[in-house]
Amino acid sequence: MILKTKQLSKSFGGLKAINKVDFELPKNEIRGIIGPNGSGKSTFFNLVSGIYDSDPGSYIEFDGHDITYTPPHEIAGYGLSRTFQLLRLYQDMTVIDNVMSGYHTRVPYKFFDAVIGRKKIWDQERAIKEEMMELLSFVGLADYAELNASELSGGQRRLLVLARAIAMKPKLLMLDEPAAGLSPVNVDNLMKIIMQLKEKYGLTLIIIEHILKVVMDTCNSVTVFDHGQKIAEGTPAQVKDDNAVIEAYLGKKMDDEEMRKALAV
Amino acid sequence: MEKFKSIIRDYPFIAFIIAFVILAFVPSVVFTDVYQSHLATLIFVNIVVAAGLNIVKGYCGQVTVGHVGLFAVGSYTAGTLFLYLGLGFWATLPIAIIVTAFFGVAMGIPSFRLEGPYLALATLGGGEAIRLFIENGNFFRSTFGISDIPTPSLMGYNFDSPDRYYFISMTIMIIAVYFSFSILRSGVGRAFMSIREDPICAAAAGINVKKYKILAFILSAMFAGAAGAVYAHMPPGYIHPNNYTVIEMVTFLAMVVLGGLGHIWGGIIGAIVITIVYDLTRPLYKYQLLIFGLTIVLTILFMPKGLGGFIDRYFLEKRFKKKTGTEKTT
Repeated sequence: MILKTKQLSKSFGGLKAINKVDFELPKNEIRGIIGPNGSGKSTFFNLVSGIYDSDPGSYIEFDGHDITYTPPHEIAGYGLSRTFQLLRLYQDMTVIDNVMSGYHTRVPYKFFDAVIGRKKIWDQERAIKEEMMELLSFVGLADYAELNASELSGGQRRLLVLARAIAMKPKLLMLDEPAAGLSPVNVDNLMKIIMQLKEKYGLTLIIIEHILKVVMDTCNSVTVFDHGQKIAEGTPAQVKDDNAVIEAYLGKKMDDEEMRKALAV
Repeated sequence: MEKFKSIIRDYPFIAFIIAFVILAFVPSVVFTDVYQSHLATLIFVNIVVAAGLNIVKGYCGQVTVGHVGLFAVGSYTAGTLFLYLGLGFWATLPIAIIVTAFFGVAMGIPSFRLEGPYLALATLGGGEAIRLFIENGNFFRSTFGISDIPTPSLMGYNFDSPDRYYFISMTIMIIAVYFSFSILRSGVGRAFMSIREDPICAAAAGINVKKYKILAFILSAMFAGAAGAVYAHMPPGYIHPNNYTVIEMVTFLAMVVLGGLGHIWGGIIGAIVITIVYDLTRPLYKYQLLIFGLTIVLTILFMPKGLGGFIDRYFLEKRFKKKTGTEKTT
């Protein structure tokens, strides 16, 4: 198990955004998380990556480390990388700097070497840059390396965010709606790149996605959230036919008697 | 030429030694009177302050308006150390840097909670508090100022006139700029920039936001402390609380903004331009503040990345066109 949560809860005032969620994820799996808006998917990500503190009684374990109350930068140090729904690109930095800043946890030298500016620093910096340029050309952004991130198009931004998250060579990559707002062709392209990256780096993936086709086609297993609770889990086929899931999305299945009653009112 | 470039890339300090040698000949070749040496020293002091301010404001994005207070701490540490203990430049400079670093920590702590204009207000209060504390403390000779702070001497040679002191300030400036370049070009500079752009995302990418914020404040405070000590020992060796008011702060800000916030040369270009303009417009002293205020506003409106960013942009567009054959203008 690379990621495990027990009784994970988070409330904002009276709202239970996440309510006692037990979640387990084996290595090398691609897990999809679906659920209606406001069902707690992104809150779940924020709790796991340490952006929010979870409520007392929760327990999160990542790769053998108890990360329940660990600050986000340490969690990232253990090898958990994530993207954000609103991208959070570093707008005023160049594309290559964006990706290189994702490399932070792997930077090999110490601060004082950097202050003094020893030769070994510049060698290592150049090596990092080369590696990151390779990554950029892999996602197809090498030509734009020196432009500001704010000058990229929507699709390119999504690719850049992905590259930045990969730069730290994570063990677990959590993607928050990677394909939101993309055209179908671009979605296919993006998913292809994600799959290639998974193979290349041996990633475990969690994907939040509203485009069900993406989830059904690529994920090994799917977890469904509704009102902060986990209502179903299993293979895409199982989840698709799960009554609780259909209810959450479309409402309750009614028999004729109930329907008649409902319409009469 | 290619070989020379690769040597500079591996050993950047060689470029700084070359700059040192060139600058060392400037007084005897270019300058016609002592006042120009004095002005050059002022430029160097401002470069050190602005380079430090560029770290915390330009790169780390923490809007601090109390930097002039740190500059004052540097000066008055040097001044009081001389006044009560009779220490000379070589002793006061490192102590001033260390003391100012501690004040930098104090100035940086509010940045954990405050952002943007709120942080600006807090640091403005901090900077002004330092000045008022000095102005009302007999220990610091209050409004009389500390005078006759001696110039440094090295192996019997006394740097006692502006054209001699030029070499001290120039050396300190070269060293400071070298440090600022190495810091900002390394991963530390990138971490600062990510915090400026998006602290939450930076944290999720493994950057310890609090640590790097306080680091930025400490580093820039050390620059301000060094500049303050150099300023205090500058002939005629006189410091007064009025040299550290908000007006000076606005000038420092104008330097960084005009030079280019978050551009590696930003503080340096700005310090040179603003100091010279400041000197040339002395007869119009009534309008100086107006000019600098306008400079800040106009630069932010029409050239948000300052002179440095403007020049960069020009070359970048050329390179991009060459590479892809398409125009990229935004």
